[in-house]
Amino acid sequence: MFSKILIANRGEIAVRIIRACKEMDIKTVAVYSEADADSLSTRLADEAVCIGPAQSSESYLNIPAIISAAEITDVDAIHPGYGFLAENAHFAEICESCDIAFIGPTPENMRMMGDKMTARLTMQKVGIPVIPGSQSIIKTKEEAVKTAKRLKYPVIIKASAGGGGKGMRVCHNDVRLISSLITAQQEAEAAFGNADVYLERYVERPRHIEVQILADKYGHIVSLGERDCTIQRRHQKLIEESPSPALDSKLRKKVGDMAIKAAKACNYLNAGTVEFLYDRNENFYFLEVNTRIQVEHPVTEMVTGIDLIKEQIKIASGMKLGFKQDDIKMKGVAIECRINAEDSEKNFMPCPGKVDMFLVPGGPGVRVDSHVYTGYTISPYYDSMIAKLICYGNSRQEAIKIMQRALDEFMILPIKTTIPFHKHVMSDTLFLRGDFATDYVEKLLGTNE
Amino acid sequence: MNLKEIKELIALMNENELMELEIERDGMKIRLRKSVSGKIETIAEGHVVPKVAQVVSQEQKVSEPAKPEQNLTAIKAPMVGTFYRSANPDAKPYAEIGQVVEIGQVVCIIEAMKLMNEIKSEVKGKVVEILVENARSVEYGQALFMIEPYAG
Repeated sequence: MFSKILIANRGEIAVRIIRACKEMDIKTVAVYSEADADSLSTRLADEAVCIGPAQSSESYLNIPAIISAAEITDVDAIHPGYGFLAENAHFAEICESCDIAFIGPTPENMRMMGDKMTARLTMQKVGIPVIPGSQSIIKTKEEAVKTAKRLKYPVIIKASAGGGGKGMRVCHNDVRLISSLITAQQEAEAAFGNADVYLERYVERPRHIEVQILADKYGHIVSLGERDCTIQRRHQKLIEESPSPALDSKLRKKVGDMAIKAAKACNYLNAGTVEFLYDRNENFYFLEVNTRIQVEHPVTEMVTGIDLIKEQIKIASGMKLGFKQDDIKMKGVAIECRINAEDSEKNFMPCPGKVDMFLVPGGPGVRVDSHVYTGYTISPYYDSMIAKLICYGNSRQEAIKIMQRALDEFMILPIKTTIPFHKHVMSDTLFLRGDFATDYVEKLLGTNE
Repeated sequence: MNLKEIKELIALMNENELMELEIERDGMKIRLRKSVSGKIETIAEGHVVPKVAQVVSQEQKVSEPAKPEQNLTAIKAPMVGTFYRSANPDAKPYAEIGQVVEIGQVVCIIEAMKLMNEIKSEVKGKVVEILVENARSVEYGQALFMIEPYAG
């Protein structure tokens, strides 16, 4: 087992990792930028090293500075958290060459899954469904109609060079497809200088379902159930829950098995998440693999009773997984609300600043993962998430009740946070019914205007 | 470590205007840090296997108590690593107390990831204090030398 670990991250995840290390009697080193000199992680860690100025590129993304800090403190391993260098294959390789264990997947895992086309092909080869799409660029109306017939309507025209919703057109029939093709090509040319478009089946009002997996160095891979992360705003997750209210045990097993298959297909190591889109017809489509521990990992921890950070550390130190698939049982329901320093009543405008009162909710079924404390100043340099509020109950109804109660207790003053938004969702009929798709937040906020 | 000794440490910190002090002795380790309000709090205390390399940071004051008109500038570490006063163990140190350094003159080496990085002075002046011992670890922003700048 490692005797000292350096945490190459900040904020709540740095605190999370330090907590796991302390419970395992592993010494900790926190690295910090000048802006984070007063952060909770520097206080909880056994040692703290300043590695650079506030800018992430010169601190948390600064590989030489982090490796240098690891060398002078003589650590055995580095935990990269999420974001920053967590999925940087080059960084993982440098750690290896410096004889420092990297707590996470292999550089090969990161490279393979980082390239979306390669990831799709890898999955297709082992029979995991991906969103059906055209094999190449669509140039003519005839090609378009023929491809749409194969894919089945509705289809979406997407710009090959594109993003940000530009050059995208949803079409439900041939007539619409033909008239949209030219417009889509023109839009793509204007936005990206490249008129190339392709077709994909359009998954209507999907849900976002992801599966947590763990894999050790001996080829043992297990799945720890799914998380439903459908509630997003601008592709940022706001609320996550486990298990998904949309799945029954049959579907749960189906997607769990798919995830294990996906992990096996890329010789996955350590913790990872396989993401799927779920349509209204019991179909799962592979989206991508996240080769890191995720923000929303606590909901899985609550329902399985397994500490994922500790498992990551154990796997990286060469231990075998201490449990088999049959030993993993999911019990109860956990919901997580990401509390951000944003004014949810003013279009989620970021509000960094000093927190004069930070009163965390308590009682049964409440867990708060945060790096904030009374008197702490939230700086503008990093992301706006300041706390994760996780509530656990025997049923979804109970978990929601506890979350409502906890959100009422939670006091973060005087800055504005997204607590009001979460309170709104927790009392919304559609959410209570468990019936929502990725357009949920848009619709919810739209009705408020 | 008893209360009397801890009080002496606190006095030591105040006298020398230290922000943080870490002491390790006889298997006991204590770290004291001054918070922004000036209050000193114990951050970490416990038994530990004796090891080298603690990182201690020091608040930079513009004026020293003895000479209120003196205007000193610090040369700070631009990177994390190990501080060396000379190019190799047999060579003379780059800078000694009392020595005058020019802008761009090498004052020390910081070694990181097996690479020796020459650290250059950004001011012209006289070296008044050397704050770090040879072969000790330094962090980003840590003060290495105090220089009395010369005009022109």
